[in-house]
Amino acid sequence: MARSRAQLSDIGESRVAWAGHLRHLAMGILKPSAAVGLALLIGAGVIWAMGEDPIFAYQTLFNGAFKGAGNFVATLQYTTPLLFTGLAVSFAFRAGVANIGVEGQMLFGALAAGIVGYTISAPHFLHVALAMIAAAVAGAVWAFIPAILRARLGVNELVVCLMLNPIALLLTGYFSSYPLKAPGPTNKTYDILASAQLQQFTNSAQLNTGFILALVLLAVFWVIENRTGKGYEWKLVGQNPLFARYGGIGVQKSIIGAFLVSGMVAGLAGAEQVLGVYRAFYNGFSPGYGFDGIAVAMLAKNSPIGVAFAALLLGALNSGGIVMQMMTSVTRDLVKMLEAVIILLLAADFAITSFKARRKVAKAGTAGKSIGGGQA
Amino acid sequence: MNEILNLGLITAIIRVSTPLVFAALGGLLTFKAGILNIAMDGFMLVAAFLGILTAYFTGNLAWAVFAAVLGSVIMAILFGYFNLKFKADIFIAGIAVGMLASGLTAVLLQGALGQTGVFASSKIPRFSQIQIPFIDGIPILSQLFSGYSILVYLAFLFTPVVSLAMSRTKWGLRVRAVGENPDSAASVGIDVFKIKMETVILSGFFCGLGGAYLSLDYVSLFSRDMTADRGLIALAAIFFAQGNPVTTIAVTVLFGIAQALAVRLQQSVGIAPQIVQVIPYFVTMIALIAVGFQTVHHRKYQQVIE
Repeated sequence: MARSRAQLSDIGESRVAWAGHLRHLAMGILKPSAAVGLALLIGAGVIWAMGEDPIFAYQTLFNGAFKGAGNFVATLQYTTPLLFTGLAVSFAFRAGVANIGVEGQMLFGALAAGIVGYTISAPHFLHVALAMIAAAVAGAVWAFIPAILRARLGVNELVVCLMLNPIALLLTGYFSSYPLKAPGPTNKTYDILASAQLQQFTNSAQLNTGFILALVLLAVFWVIENRTGKGYEWKLVGQNPLFARYGGIGVQKSIIGAFLVSGMVAGLAGAEQVLGVYRAFYNGFSPGYGFDGIAVAMLAKNSPIGVAFAALLLGALNSGGIVMQMMTSVTRDLVKMLEAVIILLLAADFAITSFKARRKVAKAGTAGKSIGGGQA
Repeated sequence: MNEILNLGLITAIIRVSTPLVFAALGGLLTFKAGILNIAMDGFMLVAAFLGILTAYFTGNLAWAVFAAVLGSVIMAILFGYFNLKFKADIFIAGIAVGMLASGLTAVLLQGALGQTGVFASSKIPRFSQIQIPFIDGIPILSQLFSGYSILVYLAFLFTPVVSLAMSRTKWGLRVRAVGENPDSAASVGIDVFKIKMETVILSGFFCGLGGAYLSLDYVSLFSRDMTADRGLIALAAIFFAQGNPVTTIAVTVLFGIAQALAVRLQQSVGIAPQIVQVIPYFVTMIALIAVGFQTVHHRKYQQVIE
């Protein structure tokens, strides 16, 4: 039976589309892998310069992250906050807003969760839900400031976020050190009630049900971003705001919406840490999870599935770094350095990619600006 | 009250303001060239570390300052190249350079000096205090303005130099042209990349001096992340002053006063340090909002005319 010409061309097109997907996927894996590889190489140089054996150091790091159930659970524990913050940053990137204020939004989310955690009493599920909602709202409120300033007054949201991060650190620090401080030597709020605690899986690490919540959230965001009209709108605005406006999408509303959603997720990152790991708000508990989120989002190329893998990678580095610090004279700060190199390399547009992009643009005949992690 | 407001307060203000002034000078140059330099904390941190490291091993402060400035300039070149040549987003590149400096100095603090948090040593020489010849005998004046290290005087001497270079020299004109409209600057034959890179390198130079001051003079030790957002605070001052050099330095000194007062108020009255520390960022937010309102108002006004 002969196929009609139209059917044949359909098959051909879908084949081309699949090849395109595959190439896209390959590039999406290749470039981040190259950046990670190069960062590890530079790190090896630093370790070697310190008179340590780079291979041994990396070996302890790897074993410390993955060898044995205990280490792996610890890795997942360190992965959890990065799942949240990475998702928050990448979602915003995708919608064309650079939310580098995730750190501050997370801190306010954590404080809100901490307060709800000890001030009210409620049955377990309700209490956890209320604390989470409070955290999400607090994160969204803090994210609303750069959103409204950008949408209404055209103020650069990056500068605003840059100022809001230290403000958040100082204000939450103030609240947990003075008006809301629990008695004792450390600057923290009162311990949350047992009914607000997220269940920890093991006694050795603080991995908790927040991890499951993060995975569910990733799945939800994958569906929103890829299968709903709203997700498509956000993607359009992110890729080409002018085009989106002609298409009848309210760009300002979209910017504010994306910031609020991103802030909510950032707030949940704080809730997981307070309800699941620390069980109280500690002043300065975050080693910079919000900034790590930027690295995760850039590695992930702004897809929720990518976020899962990138967060696991950085979580493993963070967790393995602690073991490496115990076994060698290389401190876990090496991981921060590696992360910085990865961000720099991925943010850069080296000659090869820019040449390819130019060719692609010429081919397509449109100048659609790609919303890779770097562009803001 | 006397323990809060006395001559010592002026001395404290000058000492607290010095690193902010250095960073502000560097930030001003890049700001004028249209670059938002949020990597200055990273530059200063590397400088502070290399300053202490070199001073410890050579016992020579001149070499220490040289190494500090060199390290800071190298970081600046890295930042400039990634932003200007490789088109990395300036905020992302700035955050990454800051993280790189923080991680690298912490790793090397352990690797080269064997410490995890703080490094101090009696082997690190101190700067000699410069006595100003004419006011040396006069009681209050000599107490106020005499007896600081060379770096303090340099910070305040460089202020008019940078201001004049911006407003009176051909180079300053080019920098401003590049900052205001790179395309038209390029069209009249100005090498935009070169001019921008020059300002970035100079900001590295000033941050190098600022970092060296922090670790070698202000405290005479190195501790992790010891710049404590001073680069960001300087940037806040620049934003608030909208790039005017004299106003910028005045605002940095105001921030310096707030910091110096914060220490004393905390000791005597018990006021929360965070409340004073938050002032620079808070003030900048207000300035940003005010500028935003102005711009929107201006735009509406123009629409009415049209």
